[in-house]
Parts: sequence; structure tokens; C-alpha cells
Amino acid sequence: MAEQWESDEELLADLRAALQAEAEVPAWFSETGKAALEWRGLDGELATLTEDSATTAPAGARAEPASLRSLTFTGREVTIGIEVDADELHGQIAPPRAGEIEVRPRRGPVRRLPVDELGWFAIRPKPAGAFRLCFTSAGGHVVLTEWTTV
Amino acid sequence: MRDDPGVTALVKRARDGDQEAWNALVDRFAPLVWSVCRRHDLSRADAEEAGSNVWLRLVEGLGSLREPAALPGWLVTVTRRECLRVVSGRRGQVLVADDRFPGEDGLAADAEVLKQEQYLALREAFAGLSDRCRRLLTLLFSEPRPSYTEISDRLDMRVGGIGPTRLRCLDALRRSAPLAPYVTAPEA
Repeated sequence: MAEQWESDEELLADLRAALQAEAEVPAWFSETGKAALEWRGLDGELATLTEDSATTAPAGARAEPASLRSLTFTGREVTIGIEVDADELHGQIAPPRAGEIEVRPRRGPVRRLPVDELGWFAIRPKPAGAFRLCFTSAGGHVVLTEWTTV
Repeated sequence: MRDDPGVTALVKRARDGDQEAWNALVDRFAPLVWSVCRRHDLSRADAEEAGSNVWLRLVEGLGSLREPAALPGWLVTVTRRECLRVVSGRRGQVLVADDRFPGEDGLAADAEVLKQEQYLALREAFAGLSDRCRRLLTLLFSEPRPSYTEISDRLDMRVGGIGPTRLRCLDALRRSAPLAPYVTAPEA
């Protein structure tokens, strides 16, 4: 590989930029990252966002006020779909199973709501700010979504 | 980037739930994740959400990570996507579902990744220097740059010794293991 730094000045300038990038990281940003390992302790299945109508609708259709935004979180065994209304969320667990769903906001209390045998649940009012959903089936299987905002 | 035995060991320990090892990984890669977030000009709340999901995916992926050398590339890709996603709740963006750890060659051409890898190597090389070298170099690029007399006072070093010490420190930096992939071996 060719020499990357022809002169000491170039090396110093890059070193300085590298150290500055490190100094610029806000403490809260690193703390959020360090807290991420605790989530692993929950021993659940992570469901990641695989579909979001806000990001996949064709450009012209997005402005339709009547259309509901829908999101799909996909885990290994379970999918959680939600539709966003003006002031509430409707969701379904697939394949359908009963249990309990928790709404976990970044700050503030956790809300616990029932999920019926068809896998349906409703969250009113809809969460303000970022939150995660945590579904626990009647059999004790746990599925946790990523953070999202609606 | 070569496989770093330090990172490999940290990944193994973090996989077993070792918080200290995980913290070290976050400290190491947070500047990379943050610099990508910053480029997307996110609010604090959005940066927090995007960042959280990046780390969450990394925690989840630790078990399947085979090549720690691919980590910077993977992190840049995932962070970009998470940033676009938090913005896309409001505006249209395309989701990319694939976040498997890529092989090294898949992202080798990405200039951002190359730069971030180089910065990582520079920080690591710097951390390995002697205390005296780190203090001298830090003074040399602080703004406004202190005079040689000031540096001499602060480091208790003769003014005439600053130049040669600077040379030695930069030489040590160039010869350090983390920078080996970037520096041509001196002629024998």
C-alpha cells in the first residue's frame, strides 16, 4: 500500500481530526449505547422494522391524509404489525396468539395492555416520542421491537 | 483493515454479557456512529433513536459476527440506514432490509468507511504512545498553538528537545501496529 501520509503535517492533521471526532461524541450518546447490552438480558427475540408505509409509499400517495401509516416488525418467529391512527395504534401479532403487550417509552411509565386470541391489541393514546413494544405470549415467549416513533 | 485481536476479544466477552467489554466496544466505535449521525443533521431525540437501534442491532448481531474487521463498514451502513429511517417517518426513503454483516470486500470502496477505519487506527495508535508523546502532540495541535517556550514549560522539556521529540513521537506513531496497514515499511 502506498504511504498514506507524505509529510508529518499531514499525519498530524489526520491524527488531530481523529481525536477530535472522539472528543465530539456527547456523553449521552455513548451512555445510550452502553445501556444497549441490558436489553440483551431480556432474553427475547428482537423484531426489526421491515416495512414502513411512510417510507415505501409512492411519492404522490404519501400526502393522502386518510391513509394510515403501517409498520411491520419482523422477528425470528413472530411479526408485529401496527397501524397508526390520528390518536391510537392498532396492532396484530402474527401468527395470532394471545398475551400481553408493553409500551416502553424511553422516559416515563411502561403501559401494559392485553392481546386477544386473534393477536389484536390497541394502544390509546398513541405513544408520544420514541418507544419499543414488548410482547409476551401466554406461553412466555418474549418479542421486543426496535425503537420507533409514530 | 486487519482483524484486530483486541476487538475480537471484546466481542467474545460482550457476547457473554460482559458490560465492561461492551462499554469498551461502544467507546471505540461511538465516534464513528456519531459522525455518521451528525452528517444527517438529526435532532437529539432522533439521534438517540437512531443510535439506540444501531447498538441494539450490534448487541443482537454479536453472536453472528465472524469478522471484526468488517465491523466499521457494517456500522457505517447500519447507522446511515437508521438515520434515514428516523427522518423517513416524515419523508420518503427506501428501506434496505439486509443488515447481515458483510464481508470486507463488499464495502471496501466506500470512502467514508475507509476514513473511519483510518481514524480508528490513528486513535488506537495514539493511545499506545508514551504519555510524554501524547502530551506533546496534543499541545502541538491545540488552538491557538502554544509557543515552544510554553510547551517547554508545560512538559518540562528543553526548547531544543521539542523538535527531536516530536520527530521521535511521529516516528513511533508511524511504526505502531495499528498504522501498519497505512504505512510502507521503511527500506532495509
